[in-house]
Amino acid sequence: MNNLLDDYALASPLRHSNNWLKLTVVAVGVLGGVSAASPVTPLFIALCMGFAAVVLAKVPVKFYLKLIALPLGFAATGSIVILFFFGSGNEIASIDILRYHLVIRSQGLNMAVLIMARTLSGMCCMFFLALSTPMVELFSVLKTSRVPDVFIELSMLIYRYIFVLLEVAVSIKYAQTVRLGYKDFLTSLHSTGMLAGTLFIRSWEQGERLYITMDSRCYDGKLAMFSSKKPVKAFELVLTSLYVISIIAISFSTKNMSIV
Amino acid sequence: MHIMEGFLPSPWWWIWIFISLPVIIYGIYKLNVLIKNKRDLLPLLAVAGAYIFILSSLKLPSVTGSCSHPTGTGLAAILFGPAISAVLGLIVLLYQALFLAHGGLTTLGANVFSMGIAGPVIAFVIYKACTKAGLNFYIAVFLACSLADLATYVVTSIELALAFPAQTGGVLTSFKAFATIFAVTQVPLAIIEGAITVLIFKYVIQVKSDVLVKLDVLSEAGLRKIKELTT
Repeated sequence: MNNLLDDYALASPLRHSNNWLKLTVVAVGVLGGVSAASPVTPLFIALCMGFAAVVLAKVPVKFYLKLIALPLGFAATGSIVILFFFGSGNEIASIDILRYHLVIRSQGLNMAVLIMARTLSGMCCMFFLALSTPMVELFSVLKTSRVPDVFIELSMLIYRYIFVLLEVAVSIKYAQTVRLGYKDFLTSLHSTGMLAGTLFIRSWEQGERLYITMDSRCYDGKLAMFSSKKPVKAFELVLTSLYVISIIAISFSTKNMSIV
Repeated sequence: MHIMEGFLPSPWWWIWIFISLPVIIYGIYKLNVLIKNKRDLLPLLAVAGAYIFILSSLKLPSVTGSCSHPTGTGLAAILFGPAISAVLGLIVLLYQALFLAHGGLTTLGANVFSMGIAGPVIAFVIYKACTKAGLNFYIAVFLACSLADLATYVVTSIELALAFPAQTGGVLTSFKAFATIFAVTQVPLAIIEGAITVLIFKYVIQVKSDVLVKLDVLSEAGLRKIKELTT
């Protein structure tokens, strides 16, 4: 809980690359993955993004693999349903569970594998963005792209508060654990409720204090932000173009490919 | 319970974005009005948003290995109403996608619809209905929050079923399948979320009850009644 991906992003060497370039890379990956017709393109995107995260952004491999394993669990449970219920085609296998007769058909299998691949590619893109671009940088992107001011302002304040509250939450939780707070199910229910309630009250008070502080410093609803110019390097441009061209080429050439 | 990036195929991810967009725009409009009139509420709203984020990253005592977790959107809906909760939900979901890679950008529309719109609307309606019916405040909170959590999960199952209809039986069969699989973790979680929100309100009433009156969640008389019952 303490290790937000933002911490890694702040220390990442890719932090100083152009934000728009990184966003383009991620957008191409996400859209390419989601619209791919065969699992080859998403797997290629996942591989590229994994390479970018591990080699270029210098994320420890073990940590990265652990990160990816978690969300894939959700994708896997969803894919099981698709595997058994979706699509027509030849019967490949069938299982009897309780009194249900479940059949895997070729289209279902193809779809399940495709979905897993798409999810993997999507996750890798999101992790690349999360591990290489701190939120602060994304705010300046939001500011230049005409998102309503209230929305950005609220987002920025929420961002600030996440860290304040996280710190308080961790210390309260520690204090509770030391006092046998989470020793069994019922006490952990009680402790969680107590923690959440206290946190709520404390954050409320801090919110009011922050308002007074900012107001006394002439806050008018707009936080000014510093954004530095980050030119795109030739090497990055070449790499990105190569990546985009390969995605387009691969998705066209593998359009009709399927596993079964 | 978020749908992961890349999980929804092509027409569906943007359909949900288009469905959620008007609600978000309306929410931002309402937010703008609120901030113009009562600017001092902005930090308060920010705190509520951050609170939703922290609550959903706190691991609740529940079935391990689940990707589902409470959202706290039921709480926000009771306090601020559903439209503003939708905007808070969007910001939190965006952060979860960008900080934790939990959820995604293309599935943001679907996730906002299930967690930020459907859940809070249900919570708000149930809370209002229960208080109108004169039910105990804590029971109203429990019902609103746990049913909002369940609504989020039912809507997510519908979203998945629409995108992946079953070969025989269509959307309904595949809805049943998705709902059954996720019910394993989500139903106990909904109950836990309701219980925890009740505990939160218990502490808020004990320590800072004036806040609830200020936000029109409880009337002065209602608050006194609850305090008399507990002491």
